[in-house]
Amino acid sequence: MALNVREAVSERHARALALAGLLTFLAVWCVLSYADIVPSVILPSPTEVLQAFPVLHFQEALVRSAGWSLYRVTMGFALSGLVAIPLGLLMGTFPPVKHFLSPLVDPLRFLPISALVPLFLVWFGIEETMKIMLLFVGTLVYLLPLVVEAVEGVDDVYLQTATTLGASRWQLVRHVLIPGSLPAIGEALRVMNGIGWTYVILAEIVNARYGLGHIITVAGKRSHVDQIFAGVIVILLIGVASDFLIRIVNRQLFYWKR
Amino acid sequence: MARQLTPLGRVLVVLAGLALLGYGLFKYDVLSKVGGIVAPEKKAEGTVSRDDFGQPGSGEAVPSGGGSTTTASVKGGSRLNRPIKVAIVLWGGYAGGIMANGGMAPNPDSVFTRDYGVQVEMLQIDDFTKSRDAFRAGGDKGGVDIMWSTVDAYALEYDGLTKLAPKAILQYDWSRGGDAIAVDASIKSVRDLKGKKLACAEATPSHYFALYVLTQGGLTNRDVDWVFTDSAVDAANVFKSGKVDAAVSWSPDVYVAARERQGGHILASTKEASNLIADIFVARGDFLEQHPEDARRFVAGWLKGVEMVQKSPERAAVLLQKSLSGVNTLEDAKGMLEDVKLPDYSENRAFFNPQGSLVNYQSIYQTAQNIWRKIGKLSRVYPGYQTVDTRFLEGVAEYFPRAEEAKPEFEFKTPPKPAAEPILVKTVSIFFPSGSSNLDENAKAVLDTQVVDLAATFGSAYMRISGNTDNVGSRDTNLRLSRARADAVTRFLVSKGFDRNKFEVVGNGPDKPVASNDTDEGRAKNRRTDFEVIPR
Repeated sequence: MALNVREAVSERHARALALAGLLTFLAVWCVLSYADIVPSVILPSPTEVLQAFPVLHFQEALVRSAGWSLYRVTMGFALSGLVAIPLGLLMGTFPPVKHFLSPLVDPLRFLPISALVPLFLVWFGIEETMKIMLLFVGTLVYLLPLVVEAVEGVDDVYLQTATTLGASRWQLVRHVLIPGSLPAIGEALRVMNGIGWTYVILAEIVNARYGLGHIITVAGKRSHVDQIFAGVIVILLIGVASDFLIRIVNRQLFYWKR
Repeated sequence: MARQLTPLGRVLVVLAGLALLGYGLFKYDVLSKVGGIVAPEKKAEGTVSRDDFGQPGSGEAVPSGGGSTTTASVKGGSRLNRPIKVAIVLWGGYAGGIMANGGMAPNPDSVFTRDYGVQVEMLQIDDFTKSRDAFRAGGDKGGVDIMWSTVDAYALEYDGLTKLAPKAILQYDWSRGGDAIAVDASIKSVRDLKGKKLACAEATPSHYFALYVLTQGGLTNRDVDWVFTDSAVDAANVFKSGKVDAAVSWSPDVYVAARERQGGHILASTKEASNLIADIFVARGDFLEQHPEDARRFVAGWLKGVEMVQKSPERAAVLLQKSLSGVNTLEDAKGMLEDVKLPDYSENRAFFNPQGSLVNYQSIYQTAQNIWRKIGKLSRVYPGYQTVDTRFLEGVAEYFPRAEEAKPEFEFKTPPKPAAEPILVKTVSIFFPSGSSNLDENAKAVLDTQVVDLAATFGSAYMRISGNTDNVGSRDTNLRLSRARADAVTRFLVSKGFDRNKFEVVGNGPDKPVASNDTDEGRAKNRRTDFEVIPR
């Protein structure tokens, strides 16, 4: 089968390819682990990982932990959305605002979030606030530039047309920039939904009775590699599911962009 | 006329429906019932009390193979053609090996190489999880052959390492001040910790130390509000920032935290609980099987290094500062050496012999395993002898011909300062026949389980033994009797091998009641012996 540049693939064909990719990955994993090419203390076999689930479920409260992590990530994500969308709209609409804030916002993308943990402990304490704030900041620094970009991405043609039709400044924002950028913002939210999960282990490092990140940290300390894999799989499943959900919501909300 | 809902409206309607459904389920208690099945709670945490420590024979009988005097041979296998790789951390306990090796890297002038024909490479891996990753990878694949642990923590992590068949082969130090509990101004003794927020890294030597001190001081694990952090350093920082009332951490962070917080001070440390946290080397099973001779020579060289440190501690401090990263000044290095005790060959033999020291590998391992299981951190248990291999230690006898029986380590010349505040008071009811100060077998058994371990673990501390009675009978008789009984208890403890000067004996008679003498129950409470642990 020859691969042609940007050749269209039918939906059915695409699904088959995705399935094949997944199966290949599983096959490689099976061969490496069952044939003992990689020792199981480094790469556990699929069986061992499956067996870790009941242990985590009955002893480590896997579902509750997933619930707590989901709650923290969602709260951090929602907060950063609440801040990033209005602020990003403002920055994207009025370049002076953007230039005023850019020396603060641009370097934040290089912020090493792990270095913030000790600071956040002192500022926000050891309870949920600290965990959610960490996820909030971790998500915000990536989300804000994307929102600005989405607003700036609205084609000038629309603005010019609206101006010609006599739209006021507020009308330009309300009827051109917001609807024009919302689909891209929705897409940005979908992509950034995953970022919180990359920080959840850091967030749950201190005083987390429940949490997937906590489970993974503890499993790492006690050399239970199978439990690490199981924890990671749960995070991946939640990630895929929430991605799917946001995709549907986006499609419903931003029908004009279909 | 039905109006078409906008997409936003549709989403909102669905959300409202879900919220209503959720509320209904919650309201009629369906959620919590389903929750119990779908999302069970964590396995319930058992209560750890003082009775969980120091129970001889609480584990299984140890076969004589686990540390007997018969010299098992170290034969077979092949010699290693690369350096033995050892994972260590920033800690003074490695002075022996660093001294023998003249640093961290293998070199021709190393005692290991010159005298014992093995190359040793020490790798400082301060991140706990990474050191375990390196151990799992193994020395042949970019990892390590031997890693550091402590007996209490090893009892917990062994379960995750069984596939590697790891074995403890050597004790390189006792923590002596290296682990400590920092507390705020309001906490004067262990009892004051009740209901307080206590930070520590979960399931680590810090956690174990805290459990020991709490239970011996009359509290249980449920009496404090635990705040678990990822590392000991985090625990110290949380304390420094004032978010908790107490924290268990290690040197130097814990001392810095106690100093920097207003009114902060150290409640207890392993300076007093001198025989609680034992640092050990654990080797991979495949390494020991394939290269037993190399392992034996490693042990020999390390113990030679311990002798070298004892002869020239100054040089050891200089080397320590040069070798480990994170030691800023020579003073720091000297402080690190003071926080540990490096056991020599004889002390190692006594430690790994279940009938050797009062507190030994097997006793700590069994106790620790029991405690981790009780608080739900461990579900499978392993016999202690399976986790240790003493052949290498026994196999180096030829290099230490003048080694004597391990001598008592602490000298008690002066009696304790009368004003000294005890770290903790353990109250024990010992039954004496009326009017008598004779210890029967029952009383001796109580002392064996409740006091011998406490006195041995707080090896460097003084112990005040005070007898108390109720108010029945004349005060004079009671005073005399309580003193005679405390004396009898002391004689029993001395017969176990303790220095007489470790103990201060007091007979309070009826003068220090803890309950009302008007009821039977109260009088029974007042007939007691208090064991106060007093720092030197």
